[in-house]
Amino acid sequence: MEGLILFAVSMLTLGAVYGMLCLALNLESGLGPLWDLGIVSFFGIGAYTYVLLTAPPAADHQSYIFGFGLPMWIGVVASMVAGGVAAWLIGLPTLKLKREYFLIVTLAFAEVIRQVYANEEWLTNGVAGIYGLQQPLRSTVPAMQYSYVLLALALLGLAFAWAVTRSIGASPFGRACKALRENEALAITAGIDPRGVSMRVYMVAGALAGLAGVFGVWYTTLIIPGQFEADLTFFVWAALIIGGIGNQRGALIGAFVFILLHDALRFIQVSGEWAVTLTSLRTALVGLALILILRFRPEGLFGERPVTFAQRTPQEAERA
Amino acid sequence: MISSREPTDQAGHEMDILIFGLISASVVLLSSVGFALILRTEGFLHIAHGQMLLLGAYTGLLLSNLGLHIAPTAIGAALFTGFVGVLFYGVLFRPIKARGALVLLFTSVGAAYVVYGLVGAIAGKRMLAFDLPPVRAFQLFGQPFMTVYELAIVIVAIASALCLHLFLAYTSPGQAIRAVSDDEALARVRGIDPMRTSYLVWFVASALGGLAGVFLGILGSLHLAMGWQQIILILATTVLGGIGSIYGVMLAAFVLAFGIEIGLLFVESSYRSGLAFLIIIVVLLVKPQGLQALWGGGAGRTH
Repeated sequence: MEGLILFAVSMLTLGAVYGMLCLALNLESGLGPLWDLGIVSFFGIGAYTYVLLTAPPAADHQSYIFGFGLPMWIGVVASMVAGGVAAWLIGLPTLKLKREYFLIVTLAFAEVIRQVYANEEWLTNGVAGIYGLQQPLRSTVPAMQYSYVLLALALLGLAFAWAVTRSIGASPFGRACKALRENEALAITAGIDPRGVSMRVYMVAGALAGLAGVFGVWYTTLIIPGQFEADLTFFVWAALIIGGIGNQRGALIGAFVFILLHDALRFIQVSGEWAVTLTSLRTALVGLALILILRFRPEGLFGERPVTFAQRTPQEAERA
Repeated sequence: MISSREPTDQAGHEMDILIFGLISASVVLLSSVGFALILRTEGFLHIAHGQMLLLGAYTGLLLSNLGLHIAPTAIGAALFTGFVGVLFYGVLFRPIKARGALVLLFTSVGAAYVVYGLVGAIAGKRMLAFDLPPVRAFQLFGQPFMTVYELAIVIVAIASALCLHLFLAYTSPGQAIRAVSDDEALARVRGIDPMRTSYLVWFVASALGGLAGVFLGILGSLHLAMGWQQIILILATTVLGGIGSIYGVMLAAFVLAFGIEIGLLFVESSYRSGLAFLIIIVVLLVKPQGLQALWGGGAGRTH
């Protein structure tokens, strides 16, 4: 029983990390006009920035840059800044590209960045990664109870991401994003600057994904290049599509549903050869779920609902 | 892909670039033309095309382990993959064609995970290889040139691309495919059945993908990630050639493959696909329409 609860807490924590990524992706791809297949870039850059700033200096058998051992809050802020700056740098050449090209080029950047983590050992300790990273508030509670603290922190981060994306969605800037998504030419005639708006929404999404990277590190307590493969981007997209693209609540629920689909089977303990088979079947199951959702419920569990800014009539208020 | 050959001197080095470039261009060419064909007629990025290579390679391995010679193995694997492609189109993609590129794209991602997961469940995560009799490379001007397998792969790949060109340019089913991809409504008015041409496209594209998968397995080894690794190169080739342009992609396969081989003189080989992307990023900055812009293609696209 204890084990089951701990497993559920662990899954919820992972769900919260995915939730942050889904909200960030929903901001740029659901609300905004950007079909981004490179969200994992910012997740990884945030994570590595945090680790390189807060980890202790590299030991003899390791090699990575910095390792200042800075306080965690500096690492958290830096990860968001790094995510945003990375989005700005990637956005400079790519935001002028049209949709399909943007999809592929963002995927390209994510892959190049992952190869840099894996190959540049002086920077990141290469494929060996960095292990045994500190978790926040670790010493304040007994080790047995720590997973609850981590869950609370992850939910706090998720709430922050929710608040940011929600307030952007309701703002004039959010409406400009939607206008660009629906009809770029019309949006331009309405005085919206497509480059500027796209760049800003891309940077905010990058910063949020960077923050999610910190929580990812806290969850796993290690960092290796394999965590930042294109798979993660596709998984976040799958979660967002399952939940309902363009809808805040959909992004949130989708993340947890996805984790349930993808990781709940991990609780079943099997040995050796069967474990490999089970992992593969899990992946196939995710693919099947994605296909079925797109086929029979393409708007996801929660579709995007039109927002009215006029006063509600009494009938409408009653229905809502 | 093939690391057994050690360069002996400077001349050998240049020869190596030529040979490696030619071989890897052949595989990239074969895997990318199918992807480009589907992109041109169906209008979406068929991410699962990479998994068609995986499927082809592992089907080939299965047939080869049954004791079949390598040539019928390759043909059998290609045919099987082609039929799977047709099945995918009929069951997965045709019913949702009207829903737009993003829905089709992520259905394809879902299909990719299904194929990847099923192949993984059956074959396991171990690295495998075709059990082929070892051969020595031919000598050319006193330098080792290619093995008979490599030579066959290059010839088959280039011949396939040539056949595809002749098929699209001069046969009536090929012309129907081009007509439908240019303007489906107009093609329908002229009495072309778009559905039949679509099935044909999916069969040809997937079969070429399966063949490329077998070749990839012969040149190196079979592992589960090969589909994902190759789709990255395919996407790079597609962007470089210009989205929707089949001839652009054919040229791009060579530009990319030789670009990578030359680039590998300066960086480690683990940056292989990274180099491909570096090349396309540079090209896109100069010519946002890709290589097809060289002959004026792609200008008419509005989105």
